[in-house]
Amino acid sequence: MNEQRIPVTVIGGYLGAGKTTLINRLLVGDHGRRLAVLVNDFGAVNIDADLIASHDGATISLENGCICCTLADSLGDSLDAVLALDPAPDQIVIEASGVADPKKVAYYGQGWPGCRLDAVVVLADAETIRSLSDDQFVGELVTRQLLSGDLVILTKIDLVAERSLHDVEQWVGTVNDAGSVIRVAHGLVDPCVVLDLAIEAEVSESTNEVLGADDLFESAVIEVSSAIERQHLEVALETWSEEIVRVKGIITLVGEGRHLVQRVAKRWSIEPVSDDDTTNALVVVALRGANGLDQLSADVNSGPQL
Amino acid sequence: MATGQPGAAGKTDSAITVFTARRVRTMELSQPTAEAVAVRDGKIVEVGTLETLRPWLDNYPHEIDDTFADHVIMPGFIDPHLHPSMAAVLLPMDFTTVTDWSLPWEDVGAVASRVELLERLTELDNRLEPGEPLFAWGHHPIWHGDIDREQLNNISTTRPVIVWHRGYHSFIVNDAFYEWLDVDLDAARRHPQVDVERGAFFETGLGFAMRYLSPFLLGSERFRSGLDRMRQVIHHGGQTTIGDAALGMYGFEREWEHLNAVMERPDTPFRIQFMVTAMRPQGNETSDQSMIEHILQLPERNTHRLRFSDHVKMFADGGFFAELMQLGFPGHLDGRHGEWMTPPERFEEIARSLWNARLKIHVHCTGDNGIELTLQTLEKLQSERPRFDHRFTLEHFGISRPQQVDRMAALGAIASVQVYYVYELSRAFADHSLGYERASQISRLGSLERAGVRFAIHSDYTMAPARPLNNAWVAANRINESGEVMCPDERTSLDAAIRAITINAAYVLGLENEVGSLSWGKKADFTILEADPYDVGTDGLNEIPIWGTVFEGEKFAIER
Repeated sequence: MNEQRIPVTVIGGYLGAGKTTLINRLLVGDHGRRLAVLVNDFGAVNIDADLIASHDGATISLENGCICCTLADSLGDSLDAVLALDPAPDQIVIEASGVADPKKVAYYGQGWPGCRLDAVVVLADAETIRSLSDDQFVGELVTRQLLSGDLVILTKIDLVAERSLHDVEQWVGTVNDAGSVIRVAHGLVDPCVVLDLAIEAEVSESTNEVLGADDLFESAVIEVSSAIERQHLEVALETWSEEIVRVKGIITLVGEGRHLVQRVAKRWSIEPVSDDDTTNALVVVALRGANGLDQLSADVNSGPQL
Repeated sequence: MATGQPGAAGKTDSAITVFTARRVRTMELSQPTAEAVAVRDGKIVEVGTLETLRPWLDNYPHEIDDTFADHVIMPGFIDPHLHPSMAAVLLPMDFTTVTDWSLPWEDVGAVASRVELLERLTELDNRLEPGEPLFAWGHHPIWHGDIDREQLNNISTTRPVIVWHRGYHSFIVNDAFYEWLDVDLDAARRHPQVDVERGAFFETGLGFAMRYLSPFLLGSERFRSGLDRMRQVIHHGGQTTIGDAALGMYGFEREWEHLNAVMERPDTPFRIQFMVTAMRPQGNETSDQSMIEHILQLPERNTHRLRFSDHVKMFADGGFFAELMQLGFPGHLDGRHGEWMTPPERFEEIARSLWNARLKIHVHCTGDNGIELTLQTLEKLQSERPRFDHRFTLEHFGISRPQQVDRMAALGAIASVQVYYVYELSRAFADHSLGYERASQISRLGSLERAGVRFAIHSDYTMAPARPLNNAWVAANRINESGEVMCPDERTSLDAAIRAITINAAYVLGLENEVGSLSWGKKADFTILEADPYDVGTDGLNEIPIWGTVFEGEKFAIER
């Protein structure tokens, strides 16, 4: 049952953080997913006319199967509308408004019938985020937004000297010590860290290349013993660093059967699934050079070596 | 060319009606009191005495109506900021708040504790038809403590029971609610702001619940019956003009259609002026221009009683009852955070578009930081493109700093103040939200009066009772529900309190040439009182009985 709920990714951050740039990229990206993207306003979404299959009032349909909808007065109504699509989208992406706490928007992903929360991705302009966090009116808000992110993506890093970029990164890490901090220029963030992993494809390929890893990320498929101890897995998921950005897979737990495992930065879940397959593997995306990457397999199979 | 003869151009054949009264209180400084008002075609011909009216009475057929010989004629009361659509959702519910409500169809006593609340719910359960859901509005944990599903199951296992928070942002239900609407409990259990076991839905959890409830609450029949109750409420408060401060909360066209059906009738003794919401938080300057074009065309729809104008509504920070106002240092007592309704940069951008289009801007602002954003924005707009008589209005004005009042005076800003906060919230907010100094100074009307900033007071109905005399009493006394006087230096004079529900309320709506005072050419809108507020004094304002109203020359007694 659980795996049929549609993953919801929330993209948050204050004005100018680069949300629209990222959304444009997700809509036309070569990720093979049929995304339903809910945006606040079409005005800023800029899609090449060649890629548009149809445009009907509040919905733009793209040739690649993605759709983009403007949010209705109620987010719930918008979710119900895209959940009713046939065929259903592979994933829903919600653009949170600039003054929203993305965590609260994420509650819809967590608790709306037919949905499950994939991740909260918060964008921050590397150049302005620190001064914004001291702003008389929105300082508290942007700080709270950073705190809500499973992933915090520092954007526009090409405008910032390496040294101050490092400072900003450190600072974000102190504001939100549970999230992964990722830096990108021009909104060129790889869709594979923003979107839920399509495990079937990755496991069958069993190679690092399938994820389109670039110089920011590397990915791996961890082979898992035929059945593993729940406790080993839980300790591993709890203790892995936030540089292990995403983990997903279906595995067998000793005495408990098949389970879907998901982790985005430090937030993780293990849920029972009905699944006839017997493959046991976890797909991992990590920041390139992340600590302990070579230990992951051992951690899961025999418990972390603390 | 005028001839001075009866029957000349411009004369109509309709007769003049002269309303005589023990006293006419005009709210005009040039002639504060009078004894008679001559009316023709729904408008005032002249105000004075039977003696001074002679030139009219000698020349035209007329009748003397002495129905009000023992009464006092006031200008029809005006509440410039309330919410008919919110009322339409709420008024079909039963009220269980910590304060009394005098509703046209019943008097509802205060419910001041958990025990009293549960008793009231049992009473209501006994009274309602089987199967009819029980909606009770007015729960507040500060007084009623926590209520949970089990307690409501004890009220009824078959009837859905929904106990709604006073500030609207949460409610508690029983098991019958889940069954009634076939709620997806698996999803509800995953929702961080739904507690299925406690039966609690709060904030975004309310959005979850509305998925199931909206079709019922917003159903045409229920909504229109709610609006009809609103009609009675407005009349009972003695109001002949009201401002709808945000048409379109539940869908603009739908609300417009319902309002037309229910309110635009010969037996509706008041008019509604709409402030259209001019907030598209995600828009840009281009979409703002098309929004403005839309707004400017709305007056083409005007009917006799329903009117659009060039007044528009913006929102700065969150709601006051919900404690979502933006506060400067030291913030909220319990460490919670306020909310912005739109990003400050975008707020400024929208305000600029509206200002440059010469619209009259009203800003919902509740906390001192929300007011600060509003004033800083107005300062920029005034320096870029100065305007006089712009009617830039701060709405609600919950927590302000004294120095902000001086800046309002300098910038020509005016205020429409929710003064009932003082009555209902000042003690609770002193203890739980703000500390005493700020809580005691909520809605600082005395400072506005001293600084010469013109202000109205409003009910924000259903946030406060739509009873202008009661609001005037709060403004002039600052007595709260615990009986304490909160910050006596922020009380208004009697005169300022009465102006705030008559001529200054008209000014806030831009209607001061039509209503709000009694003199020639204005609408013949009266509120008929049993006593002159200026004789009664501040202490007894809320006790003055209202006979009824006159709307455009026609009498509408309040039925008892």
